[in-house]
Amino acid sequence: MNRITDHPVLGRTEKKCIEFFLDDTKMTARSGETIAAALLANNIRTLRYHEASGSPRGIYCNIGHCFECRVEVDGKTGVRACMTEVCSGMRVYRQQQLPRPFQEGGRER
Amino acid sequence: MMDRETIICRCEEVTYEELITTADSYHCSARELKLRTRAGMGICGGRTCRFLIEDAAEESKEKVYENIPLKYQPPVRPMRFDEGGKNK
Amino acid sequence: MNEAEVVIIGAGPAGLSAAIQSARCGLRVTVLDEFMKPGGRLLGQLHEEKKGVWWNGIEEADRLYEDAVNSGVHIRLGTTVYHIEKENRWVTETSEGTWESRCLLLAAGAAETPLPISGWTLPGVMSIGAAQVMTNVHRVTPGNKGIIIGINPLTMAIARELQLAGVEIEGIYIPPYEKKFRQMETPEQILAGMQRMAHLAPSFLLRVGSRFLVNQWTRQKAIQFYPKKGLSVWGIPIHFDKTVTKIIGENEVKGGFISSINAEGIIKEEEQYRKEVDFVCISGGLYPLVELAAVAGCPFYLIPELGGHIPLHNQTMHTPVEGLFVAGNITGIESAKIAMVQGETAGLSMGKAVNGTSRDIEEKLHQSVQNEKRIRAEALIQFHPEVKKGREKMHELWQNYVKESAAAKE
Repeated sequence: MNRITDHPVLGRTEKKCIEFFLDDTKMTARSGETIAAALLANNIRTLRYHEASGSPRGIYCNIGHCFECRVEVDGKTGVRACMTEVCSGMRVYRQQQLPRPFQEGGRER
Repeated sequence: MMDRETIICRCEEVTYEELITTADSYHCSARELKLRTRAGMGICGGRTCRFLIEDAAEESKEKVYENIPLKYQPPVRPMRFDEGGKNK
Repeated sequence: MNEAEVVIIGAGPAGLSAAIQSARCGLRVTVLDEFMKPGGRLLGQLHEEKKGVWWNGIEEADRLYEDAVNSGVHIRLGTTVYHIEKENRWVTETSEGTWESRCLLLAAGAAETPLPISGWTLPGVMSIGAAQVMTNVHRVTPGNKGIIIGINPLTMAIARELQLAGVEIEGIYIPPYEKKFRQMETPEQILAGMQRMAHLAPSFLLRVGSRFLVNQWTRQKAIQFYPKKGLSVWGIPIHFDKTVTKIIGENEVKGGFISSINAEGIIKEEEQYRKEVDFVCISGGLYPLVELAAVAGCPFYLIPELGGHIPLHNQTMHTPVEGLFVAGNITGIESAKIAMVQGETAGLSMGKAVNGTSRDIEEKLHQSVQNEKRIRAEALIQFHPEVKKGREKMHELWQNYVKESAAAKE
């Protein structure tokens, strides 16, 4: 369990559980947290695959500067998981590597 | 010494090797280095790597910059088309 | 189009403190922030100021937010600013529409300086600030066991916070050194900076012995004879003689390659080994986030003591651009307490800009500028040891600028 429920200085937190989806898989989140926090709490670290190379990426700055954590949320692409509150029933998808049909003269890769 | 295959620009996956060989071959300014390699031109707008590109282009880190070598320009965050020109 | 007398970008310690003061001067104030909670960098902060007395950033943020709302400030969260422009008045373009205002305050804070390391794009590698926000704001741990690369005041404060939350820190290491990059320092240079962290790492300084820090030669010796197991602070080993040359893992972080280095940062090839961890924090320090000041056409100067390029400003937080003010980390990297008092000054300055001068406002402004100096003198942690010198440099640059523009007008 990677949630800190009882902090020695900050004390306890009890927040409502909600459900959302990552790539059509049901996940549990706590109300009021970001998509990035909810995914990390579910042990999900890879939030997208680089559009060109396909290398896995996760949260880096967590304050909206680096855009590494962008995901698709309810049909909207390029949404920063670290800046967006998770909502009940939300459908989150990871960005996948994009096809590059015009590299190497248009041949199939 | 840093591993030359280290990625400097995370958005465009430009390595340290690409930056220094380009800087050496063309003796270029930070701006030209950026344009040639696409380092700093990805979705974050160079917010993560701009200083690294500036330094890779220069001869020495001792150099004092009076002005900001790589220009900032609007929009300072990528914006969606449906958000432009809207007066909510 | 939305309209206000004052628009403030950033709901952190500087922005909220400014909003409160301006609203108390009778102005209509709107604060914009990208994040969904108010408080900015305050939200993550948690450190013991003296025995049993904690600086709890979340409580500070709550207090400021309540004061602001009670003073009639409008706070718009989840609002991303794209552009600012001066027409007759200031125009701020955001994801939630456009705002027009007489005065505009930039209080956007700082961003983290990157330290590129082989493998740093792997999921599980994050900036140390990211781990702080996850742990203290969202109460989710970044992992079970991690390493921190980079040693500065932020490292020491956040390592302690992670530990409090039950996260194991395997060790704190020096970043790989590359002399081309201005923000990279040799182990010897980093060790020299430990003196400013006396409050954050007292046991470390006691053990190294402050006499070993006095000059370059003694610092080199201290690294040469550095204990192989490191020296611990709160049980966390700090390694001044080791770096992480590569972060390893296929789909996410599995560990790191640790290499011994000398005082100049040269890697000893024969002394390398692997450590298994499930997360890595990169701690390169902070730099002022000045993009909006640059877009607004504000002149800049490089002042390393303040953390980088700084928009020209005076002690009452004016920039040379009419109606544009700055406060907080955009003026130099310092503590939240400094950001708050600078915000108060900026809020009063905007009050004066709209309402005109009065004896009362001049007195308050004078007091606020004095408060900033007092708080700096009393600070337990300095992000840069020469921050006072940096502030003096900026003051001089401002005076020269004023003189030169007066001469140009004649």
